Amino acid sequence: MSAGLENFQGIRRRTFLAGTGGLALAAMTNGGARAADEVGGELAVLNWAGGTELEMLHNLQKAFVAKYPKVKIREVNVTGQGDMRPGMRTALMGGEKVDLFVNTWPAFRKELADAGILRPIDDQWKTFNWDKRLDASWRKLGSLADVTYGLTYTFGDRSGIWYKKDHMAKAGIAEMPKTWDEFTAALPKLQKAGFAAPIAIPGKYWAHAEWFETLLLRTAGVEASSKLAAHQIPWTDAIVKTALKKYASLISGGFCGAPADMLSTEWDAACDQVFQANAKNFVLIGMWLNARAKDDYKLVEGKDYSLFQFPALGMGHDDTSSVDSKEFVVTANGANPKAADAFLDFCTTADAANIIAKAGLASPSKEVDASLYGDAQKIATAAVAKSKVQFVLGDLLPGDLVDEYRVQLQKFLQDPSDANIDKVLAAIEAKAKASY
Amino acid sequence: MDQAHPPALARVPRRWRLGDASAAALLLAPAMLLFTVATLYPLVETVRISFWDIQGLRKPSFAGFGNYILLFSDAGFRNTLTTTLLFTAGVTILSVSIGWVVAMLCALAPRQTLVFRMMFFAAFGISESVSGYLWTGIFRSDSGGLLNSLIQHLGFPGFAFAWLGDEKTALWVLIIASAWSAVGLPLMLIFAAIQSIPKSVLEAAYMDGAKSFSTMRFIMVPLSLPGVRVSVFINLLTALRAFDIIYVMTNGGPARATETVGYFIYRESMTQFKLGYGAAATIVLLVAFLIVSAPAIMQRTAGAK
Repeated sequence: MSAGLENFQGIRRRTFLAGTGGLALAAMTNGGARAADEVGGELAVLNWAGGTELEMLHNLQKAFVAKYPKVKIREVNVTGQGDMRPGMRTALMGGEKVDLFVNTWPAFRKELADAGILRPIDDQWKTFNWDKRLDASWRKLGSLADVTYGLTYTFGDRSGIWYKKDHMAKAGIAEMPKTWDEFTAALPKLQKAGFAAPIAIPGKYWAHAEWFETLLLRTAGVEASSKLAAHQIPWTDAIVKTALKKYASLISGGFCGAPADMLSTEWDAACDQVFQANAKNFVLIGMWLNARAKDDYKLVEGKDYSLFQFPALGMGHDDTSSVDSKEFVVTANGANPKAADAFLDFCTTADAANIIAKAGLASPSKEVDASLYGDAQKIATAAVAKSKVQFVLGDLLPGDLVDEYRVQLQKFLQDPSDANIDKVLAAIEAKAKASY
Repeated sequence: MDQAHPPALARVPRRWRLGDASAAALLLAPAMLLFTVATLYPLVETVRISFWDIQGLRKPSFAGFGNYILLFSDAGFRNTLTTTLLFTAGVTILSVSIGWVVAMLCALAPRQTLVFRMMFFAAFGISESVSGYLWTGIFRSDSGGLLNSLIQHLGFPGFAFAWLGDEKTALWVLIIASAWSAVGLPLMLIFAAIQSIPKSVLEAAYMDGAKSFSTMRFIMVPLSLPGVRVSVFINLLTALRAFDIIYVMTNGGPARATETVGYFIYRESMTQFKLGYGAAATIVLLVAFLIVSAPAIMQRTAGAK
């Protein structure tokens, strides 16, 4: 008994209260209704999302409030352009007290946890028995040094290449390429069909890194990529150069357009070039495009457009994929930890998972109704399920380094020669040495 | 009753009367308070922060002159100094030169050019960010960009270019865009200087047989110089602290080719959240400001008692 109490000594009071609250919930015999009665008050949510994603988050919140009618949600909005972390830091440092928020950057999770802003959710994981609904890999994804902070509610395949079906038909491409050779053979066909530069590469504010990151995974594997993220191998290592050289072959081949075009194209605009202007054919940019394609371009998933997994390189690592994810994290100073924990629990349920699926996103919950996924999402989810996955490299790097990494990738796009690849990697390595 | 004072004042008890110094202090207090809160405190705080290493949400640590040493050894910062110099000089020279020439021409027919001058000045009233969006629309790389669309319609599709995506052209585009909105002020100031030239001087020149060009060269140009000086001073300082238009049009890119000190401060402080480092760069910019302003301030206050 005393040993048990000693174990609790390090746990914050609120965590303890939340944990015991959760235990109480689980212990209730008539479950749902009485549990819902006990959770109430204001739940402050720091929000930085916009567009379709915000709509989905609002739907989640509505469904949560329907289940817990005594909860009132207060949204604290952070606005900005590009990287939203500065706005979030300002809000948190400025004394804004919130109960939970969405995080998508593992490096930021560490920063928040180191600053004591995050509340660990290991007890809640046990109490609410989230293992029943989420695979252990998702828990690992939201953890830092074996302490769980994030509950992943959606994930995306960052190694899936989007395309429009009528473009392929125009170029006489009946089957989407499965190997690198098939892929590179498809590119001249598309050029002959009138698409001057089939691959859309955005690089205006930040150079697009997806092609490089998946090429790195496919040439060197998950472990090597992970080591690079932790700077356990230098950026000047031959594996990084091999990946960039492979990428360079696409640029030098004229399949991505002129460097100035890439560097003046914003991320959204790259998608527009494929789906709206019908000027380009392939874009590798993440699953958020699915919602944009449906809502903004008014296209039908599976009929008008789809996605195929990155072609196999045959270098021994074709079972790898790059993924991103979004997680809810709860704060240590939030006024309503009980409601925050209940919200996390709700996000693992079938109700929440299906809201996420209907929005065109993938849910990690085992309770999701997979039939709600469209064709592209089914392809992406299946690919991720059978892959060794690695989180987006850029989001794993410390702030200073990620900036240099993106700028040096811009320089690489300007000049993909071997000599410049060496310069680019040397510059990233120099920054990396000072960043860890 | 003391006959030396007017009756109204005489009725005020002596203990409520204020001396000149106290009255001055009381009247200045609101302005001083505002100045302290809005200018002095942020300045002192910026200086203080510049000696601290503040990164993200990490616990701050005292860095001494570390941020300044790091700043001048940072190749990126040195690059922004060059870019700032080019941008500031480019915008100032272009805007003041155009404003000067247009003011001269307008001075030949002041009434007829009123609407024209108003149009020029209107651009000065447009915010830099709005101006940035406007010019982005002109220089956009795709066929939706006005300039590229025009080039294609004129039958030169080969000359269409991603102006904002190339290191060699992006800075020039920014200079043109900034100069466009900056022309209005020199135009008005120089025009006013020309208008203040005594008619007798112009009439004397006419009587002496001076042609328009000679009048312009030997009378209007030298006598408009005070307006030119003020214009150079104002436009120089405005260009030196440029941020909005760069943020909107290029975000300092491509590959930091258009990153000025103002944008560098924003990136380091707001994107990287290195507040101490950003504050050190702000102090460097402030010193540059003072250096640029010093001659003008000294000249203006030279005769003051």
